[in-house]
Amino acid sequence: MIQVLCILTLVHALLIASSIGNSAEVQPVSPTTPEIFKQFSEHVVKIEVVESGSAAKAAIGTGFFVNARGHIITNYHVVSKLIHSPERYRIDVSGVSGLTGQAEVLAVDVVYDLAVLRSNSHPKGFLTLESKPVEQGTRLYSLGHPRDLGLTIVEGTYNGLLQHTLYPKVHFTGSLNPGMSGGPTMTHAGKVVGVNVATEGEQISFLVPAARAVALLERTAKVESPAAGSFLAEVGRQIHTNQERYLAGMFSKTTSSVALGPYSLPTKPADFFRCWADALRRKELPYVAVTHDCSTDDYVFVSSEQSSGIVRFYHQLISTAELNPAQFFTLYSAQVQAGNVAPFGNEEEVTPFRCQTRNVQTQTGKLKAVLCARQYVKLPGLYDAVFRAATLGARNVGLVTTLSLSGASFDNVQALTQRYMESIRWRR
Amino acid sequence: MAALGYIEILDAKGNVTERVRIDSLPVHIGRAYSNHVVVDDPYVCPAHLTIEQNEQGDLIARDLESVNGLYASGRSDRVATLALRSGTQFRIGHTSLRFRSVEHPLAPTLVDRGVKESHFASPHVAAFIVVAVLLLLCLESYLGIVERVTFAKVVSEPLTSFSMLLVWAGLWALASRIVVSHFYYSQHAMIACGAIVGFSALNVSSEWVEFLFPFIPALWIVGLLGTGLILAALVYGHLGFASPMRRRSRLWAALSVSAAIIGVSVLSDYAGRSKFSNVMEFNGVVKPLDAAWVPSTSVDRFMETSQKLKSDLDALAQKAKASQP
Repeated sequence: MIQVLCILTLVHALLIASSIGNSAEVQPVSPTTPEIFKQFSEHVVKIEVVESGSAAKAAIGTGFFVNARGHIITNYHVVSKLIHSPERYRIDVSGVSGLTGQAEVLAVDVVYDLAVLRSNSHPKGFLTLESKPVEQGTRLYSLGHPRDLGLTIVEGTYNGLLQHTLYPKVHFTGSLNPGMSGGPTMTHAGKVVGVNVATEGEQISFLVPAARAVALLERTAKVESPAAGSFLAEVGRQIHTNQERYLAGMFSKTTSSVALGPYSLPTKPADFFRCWADALRRKELPYVAVTHDCSTDDYVFVSSEQSSGIVRFYHQLISTAELNPAQFFTLYSAQVQAGNVAPFGNEEEVTPFRCQTRNVQTQTGKLKAVLCARQYVKLPGLYDAVFRAATLGARNVGLVTTLSLSGASFDNVQALTQRYMESIRWRR
Repeated sequence: MAALGYIEILDAKGNVTERVRIDSLPVHIGRAYSNHVVVDDPYVCPAHLTIEQNEQGDLIARDLESVNGLYASGRSDRVATLALRSGTQFRIGHTSLRFRSVEHPLAPTLVDRGVKESHFASPHVAAFIVVAVLLLLCLESYLGIVERVTFAKVVSEPLTSFSMLLVWAGLWALASRIVVSHFYYSQHAMIACGAIVGFSALNVSSEWVEFLFPFIPALWIVGLLGTGLILAALVYGHLGFASPMRRRSRLWAALSVSAAIIGVSVLSDYAGRSKFSNVMEFNGVVKPLDAAWVPSTSVDRFMETSQKLKSDLDALAQKAKASQP
């Protein structure tokens, strides 16, 4: 669990950034980068989430106008503090030409990390969203406020949609940095192809496809005033619907399996999983450990302390030819106990864990099975769960396998745990 | 003539330093050498006190208008006279005195432990037990090592614990020497060895119980009680050699020490539990046992009981929500 979240956080450092906008003018000749900056920088705003009490900014990011009514597109994660505690924060927007004002949230799409805001000041122009994919290799220009250093333009290349991901993302080869989140990435003509969202470093950056923003805007078109109170309930509903979609049928009987020692175990239950394997064999160790680790790459940002939508499972086979059974089981017990601390979570967002431990008879053998779960306090009905099982009966070989889910309904926690447990088999 | 009784002069601990036989009344007590009982205390008057019989035949101590007066033992108000029964204790100046009649009942004769338990303290038995415990510690350490076994790794930890044991026994022996004038070193060492064996057995059996019956809630309480009992036995045993206390008071002392230790650990455990944490509390112990011998439940039953987990979490979430602004 810890490792899962850490890995994912490293993999996709979220950006908090800004952008430019443009009307539908078509440029016969490709403009130079300074021209693009000049033309569109006014349509991009810096978004600051300000703590009302201290009037100090708690988060910054970028957004851009998408119509003359003052609607702004940005990332959900830029404004997530306000979503969680609307009474404590407000949103200030400011443009390059001295435009300043405040904005309110009209709609969020937590799964694709988008939010629509409405500014109380009128834009001088706006950018258009381009739903149609562009050709791989197309030159793109990204705008934003990296680390609050002022509006910046970054050049890069369009490299298509990521393959095998749970949520479609544009692979943008260019340096996005924190603060640029929510900013536009567009063609030289000012057509926005994606919204800056994350980076993996070394010029590997990701954009939310513009089509998702178009869809959210359509849903928002009729909203005149934002739903009274909190968007949190809506966030909870979206995560709930999303997990129903991607967890359905996971670890069903058709899931492929991998053989580890005398056991057969599930692997790569869907395209959006990535699996890795490794073995620890060292001369000074009197045992061998083989690991097989699968995880979804994507996750849903809920708050800085909470992510959802991650599924990870890993198998650890340990075996020995040297240790006696008592020694081996000392090692094995430690392995079963290891990693029992979740990396994130605070009292305001999650309950403490509760666990259930039993020795369970499956169709082919006996397991020590532990199911631990905690509930999201602000998003009722969603749980983090860790299921761990250790095979029993052998003297010098043992398998510890762990499945961790985040932001799933308890029905799904139970269904996946059951199917996962049943897919752990002893090979004849 | 038969003696009436004795006047005993006591020291600060209540031990008798001098005993004066009384054959006739009245008895004169004071600092002057003309008295029957001469008290060597500068706060006592030359003629301080007499003991005489009243008309009813009771013994009465009478203050002879002394400078510092007469006090019943443990009282702070000066009295002119004090009725004496066998065992009555009183104070003049800085000196405590006690009257005892010749019929005063006596405590039963104490058994000399040094004699009774000589076989227990015999060097051969002691050496055997000490070696056995050292081997037990080494075995535990050997079975707990999951790297390549070397002699140094196996013995370093047991030797440390073992020297702690010797120091522990030494401290008790020192206490014994001060209180009952005997070291009883090997006896204290044996008692400590017994406790180590007890703790090992408790540890091993609780691991097995945890493994075989993980569904039994609050098993840690049983472990805590076992620990408490061993601690109580340890204190009871040590006090037997290090104090002149009787069985019953030793038992009370032992139980209160262990109750205090357990109480503190329960409190700190409770404090730890009521604090929020991201730790998943479960016991990962597994044992090399043929699967057929492991009591188990079915997958369906496991999933059914997890419903209880959900209701616990729902209650926790409700509580957390209620406590937030």
